[in-house]
Amino acid sequence: MITFECASVKGFLDCASLAVSAGGSCAVLTETEFEKNLLLKVFAGLTRPDSGRMLLFGKEISSLSADELNGARKRIGIVQNNGGLISNLKVWENILLPVSYHSPLPQQGLDEKMINILDKIGYDDDITMLPGPLPEYKKRLAGFARAMLMEPDLIIYDSVFDGLSPDIRGKVMGTITEFQQEKEGRASLFLDMDEGLLDYIRADKVYMLKKGKFYERN
Amino acid sequence: MRTKKITDGALNTIVYLSGLFNLILGALKNLPALKISPVRTVFFRQIYFAGIETLGKMVIIGLLIGIVIISQITSLVGVGRGELIGKILVWVVVRELGPLFAAIVVIARSVTAISAELGSMNVQGEIASIEMMGIDPERYLIMPRIIALTLSMVMLTFYFELSAILGGIAVTSVFWGVPFEQHTTGILTSLTIMELSASLVKSLLFGVVIAAVSCSQGFKVSGSITRIPQATTKATIQSLFFVFIFDGIITLIFFL
Repeated sequence: MITFECASVKGFLDCASLAVSAGGSCAVLTETEFEKNLLLKVFAGLTRPDSGRMLLFGKEISSLSADELNGARKRIGIVQNNGGLISNLKVWENILLPVSYHSPLPQQGLDEKMINILDKIGYDDDITMLPGPLPEYKKRLAGFARAMLMEPDLIIYDSVFDGLSPDIRGKVMGTITEFQQEKEGRASLFLDMDEGLLDYIRADKVYMLKKGKFYERN
Repeated sequence: MRTKKITDGALNTIVYLSGLFNLILGALKNLPALKISPVRTVFFRQIYFAGIETLGKMVIIGLLIGIVIISQITSLVGVGRGELIGKILVWVVVRELGPLFAAIVVIARSVTAISAELGSMNVQGEIASIEMMGIDPERYLIMPRIIALTLSMVMLTFYFELSAILGGIAVTSVFWGVPFEQHTTGILTSLTIMELSASLVKSLLFGVVIAAVSCSQGFKVSGSITRIPQATTKATIQSLFFVFIFDGIITLIFFL
């Protein structure tokens, strides 16, 4: 799904190699939040490697046109730590934004699907309000619902367990696992700085980002 | 040293102007995206904010300006010259003041709003978030704003001109007893296609340029939230500057 072959980004990655395969679950631990945020941008194709190769769904990212890159991003769901919601859209508009943007025709039963997802992940706040006053965790949940509605092939979780009690972490992990199993070949990628995360997630591969390189942990 | 400064300044200006031009071309190229429901929502919201919500104030300003102009003209040329008064009213309002006042009101209201909104979205990482969802910001954020602001500008100019002319006629008819027909003859004979085209071209061009400048300045904000007021100020001043320059050029082209 995402492969780095000796990819370098000036001042950040130095001939780094990594592979997230279909159906797999992978965690990448960084040393700082800055590195984690930058890595998220690289995974999303917002920052491109200066040298080396980065493959997104088997295609070299530098060979993709803007529309092709957007097509690839459509297949990636990103749950950002702060939710990544748009402040001037109501919560429900935020959740439906990517799916209604990418579907040429209005989809039947989209509202119902959204409500079901929100129930499933435990979002119990008002969805007709602007996201500003919501606590960070609720924003993250709305971001999760937004990513789930897109039925992505790869889903990236950016520090989604921050500030949660062990109980809620367990529940969130249960939902993540269930969501991954819903579609064959769907992969999960966890980005975090906290090694304690490894107690909660079930990752097939764990990478540490140190001095610009990914080191696989056994 | 001085030559280098001038050359750099000229180069920066050219780069900036070509950026604005590309933004406008991109908006035209992305017009079919109005079929996409979230893009259409942004478009209608902008029409509502920049056009419909401003309409009432625009009509009041138009009425007042019409009254002021007609009072001055009447004092200058005398009460019995209804046809001449109507002619001057058309020349002043339709050729010049209509598009110019509409632009000034839109700059005061929408330029600051658009540049601040896009600037804060950029600082808070919302534009990056939009890109991560595979949504093209030019298609989703810029195009509907440019098109909506341009259409709003045309609409506001039309209502401003209409209310200014009607306001003027009403005042002279009520206070100076000038027959209504005297004015209408003057207005109808001097309201040619040329006058209407100049007004339309001005309002279209002002709308496009004002919207492109505000989007461009909003998108340039990065790093700190304190850059937002700087961006809004820049957008306001540049929009005013462009409006006056284009106003002069179009007037010269049409009426010289």
